[in-house]
Amino acid sequence: MIYFDNAATTSTLKGAEEIFIRENREDFANPHSAHAFGRTASKKLEDAREEILEDLHLEKTHSLIFTSGATESNNLALKGLPLHYQKRGKRIITSAVEHPSVLNALKELIPFGFDIVILPVTSEGKVDPETLKNAMTNETILVSIMAVNNEVGAINDIASLAKIVHAFPKAYFHVDATQAMTKLAFNYGDADLLSFSGHKFGAFKGSGALIYKKSIAFESINAGGEQEQGFRAGTVNMPGNVAMAYALHEGLKNLKTHEQSVRLLHDYLQQNLAQMEGVSMNSPQDALPYVLNFSLTKKKASVVVEALSENEIYVSTVSACSSEEPVSYVLEAMGKSEGDARNSIRLSFSADNTLDEGKRFVEVFSTIMMGVQDR
Amino acid sequence: MNPDMLMIHYGELSTKGDNRKLFVNQLARNIRHALKSFPTLKVEASRDHAYVELHEEDASSVIARLQDVSGIHSISIVFKSDKNLDHIKNFAVELLSKETGKTFKVNVKRADKSFPMSSYELACALGDYCLDHTAFTVDVHHPDVNLDVDVREEAAYLSCHDFLGAGGYPLGMNGKCLTLLSGGIDSPVAAYLLLRRGIRIECIHFAAPPYTSDAVIDKLKDILKILNTYQEDIKLNVVPFTELQLAIYKNVDEPYCITIMRRMMFRIAEGLAKKEHCLAIATGESVGQVASQTLPSMIAINDVTNFPVLRPMCTMDKLDSIALAEKIGTYPISIRPYEDCCTIFKPKAPKTKPQIHDCEFFESKFDWKPLVEKCIAEVKSYLLVDGEEKVFPEENKPIENK
Repeated sequence: MIYFDNAATTSTLKGAEEIFIRENREDFANPHSAHAFGRTASKKLEDAREEILEDLHLEKTHSLIFTSGATESNNLALKGLPLHYQKRGKRIITSAVEHPSVLNALKELIPFGFDIVILPVTSEGKVDPETLKNAMTNETILVSIMAVNNEVGAINDIASLAKIVHAFPKAYFHVDATQAMTKLAFNYGDADLLSFSGHKFGAFKGSGALIYKKSIAFESINAGGEQEQGFRAGTVNMPGNVAMAYALHEGLKNLKTHEQSVRLLHDYLQQNLAQMEGVSMNSPQDALPYVLNFSLTKKKASVVVEALSENEIYVSTVSACSSEEPVSYVLEAMGKSEGDARNSIRLSFSADNTLDEGKRFVEVFSTIMMGVQDR
Repeated sequence: MNPDMLMIHYGELSTKGDNRKLFVNQLARNIRHALKSFPTLKVEASRDHAYVELHEEDASSVIARLQDVSGIHSISIVFKSDKNLDHIKNFAVELLSKETGKTFKVNVKRADKSFPMSSYELACALGDYCLDHTAFTVDVHHPDVNLDVDVREEAAYLSCHDFLGAGGYPLGMNGKCLTLLSGGIDSPVAAYLLLRRGIRIECIHFAAPPYTSDAVIDKLKDILKILNTYQEDIKLNVVPFTELQLAIYKNVDEPYCITIMRRMMFRIAEGLAKKEHCLAIATGESVGQVASQTLPSMIAINDVTNFPVLRPMCTMDKLDSIALAEKIGTYPISIRPYEDCCTIFKPKAPKTKPQIHDCEFFESKFDWKPLVEKCIAEVKSYLLVDGEEKVFPEENKPIENK
């Protein structure tokens, strides 16, 4: 099996698995319980919280809410904050290529009178800081822009964008860092709010976090008990979060070496695929090496993906066999043709992938491209 | 007052002569099978009716189960009384007063000729008594409630509640039919209609990986698990169709591709039907619905087989089909987004009036016979039993690529 769909989810780190099992066996108490057993669990949870903040150098300035993943974090940030600060202004700015959990969460604010501004992106899938600058007003209370795009791997200049946002004292800057954590080093403190999921870097599905500047307040959108500083009711997934803290620590520690090995694979694939007839590259040259997106100019991506799947090679596509095929809105926003936007394939890597897998991929992929009927 | 038994009225068996016994026996077997989750029930089938002794089981859940059994016209809830006239009268009032409506009619059957009153006299006596003791009035033409009284040797049976059954003939009386299953809305409904008529089914599906997704097979299995309600075990045969389909698209002019493809499918279906001892082929086609389902298309496509091709859906509108699919529960599965045929293979202008000689011309351009045979030889089969996939016995395992 060759698994090139790590941007969708990764396998779990062995160390994370051990922690998860141990914490579930030994410290399974509800961290919110008042007894000593509960306090032990609570201590583990707080240590994990502290560890994550320290690893990101945010322990002084930021707080952290454990969530079920980035989708929940994004919803909490993008609905909870505007609802709290709506008296200051109702303008929210985001980009056209954000994850659906950002775009759809913001869409839900429109009936409440919020003005959602969706910025275009460059042909490389990035937000041009100038575009943001022109869109900023005194009414703007929130800007949400992703660190790394999940479909093409385009990297945004978070530092420059943050500077622009922070020139407006009423505006907060939310960064969806789901695809960036453990893969791209940036100044995390540039973000007033930061979302990510654990299962994208070797922790478990169902773990994630929203990190926010201590001075920020927002409304809880999940009613219930008083867990997570009252912002996120529901029994906390302590074992999952402790495992996430571990995976994040490991990932950050190995960021450089992992990037080197992934880049080797990425460059090999990029060079070989770019030369192939009927392949058109979508990922920009300076994209994160963990993601490689290309379109098939003559074939149907869904068919090629199915054929790869038959060969136990797992990659991602938005394409489907049906006549009402979905289109990649990310590629459309980058100005790609409709045919390209309907027939893109995303390869996404982890440090576990090898160059040999890349070679095997090119081999199988070229055979399939020769055998499969044009669309 | 709990009902004592259910009386099962047979479907179209009255047209059967000497074979009637066979039909009744088959139906009794099917009823016993359908009710095997109720171990306390006792089923007895006679020439005219079958009886289910309830022994305190919940009548409505037993009836719901029986309504899925083909060959049953209707089911009545029956209460048992001794043959004392006063007791029968009181029973009748008690039953009737629980019904809703304004008018009633008493129907009496008197199998026990030793009973002192004639059917007519008993009907009058009961009608009279009920008229006096309930709020109901008599309407012998269009009554709201029919009170049926059956006087037999052992007891009198009263009922005033009928439930319609599935109709048709007992499953298994008509042999087996190979049904083309695409995964769309119509073909599962066609299979259901066959089952309701008492025809056992086996299914054939044409898969063209990688142009079709493997998920289609899972979808088909889920559909067949629902149809297991009507037939305990259903075999699904998946034909590896890609090679033949590509050969068709290479050699045949685009407007004729679908026609030729359907002809090949029928050839393969006939080959498999013979192998699997099926006596007919069935499709979910509805006349005129798409290019390959016009009457001229059917002539051109049907030309390749002498097997009867049953088209239970042939006069149905899409909306009728959807309504039935929703009723039997296959609709939500059918609309899952995996297609049985990739858009790559959908011609822009398929022929609606294909000519047989043109079909033969295109088919003369390539050697399709070995490809058809290969399709039949390399069929991969799955078995769905009682809503679960069963591992196939070793000797029936699909033949690996030679």
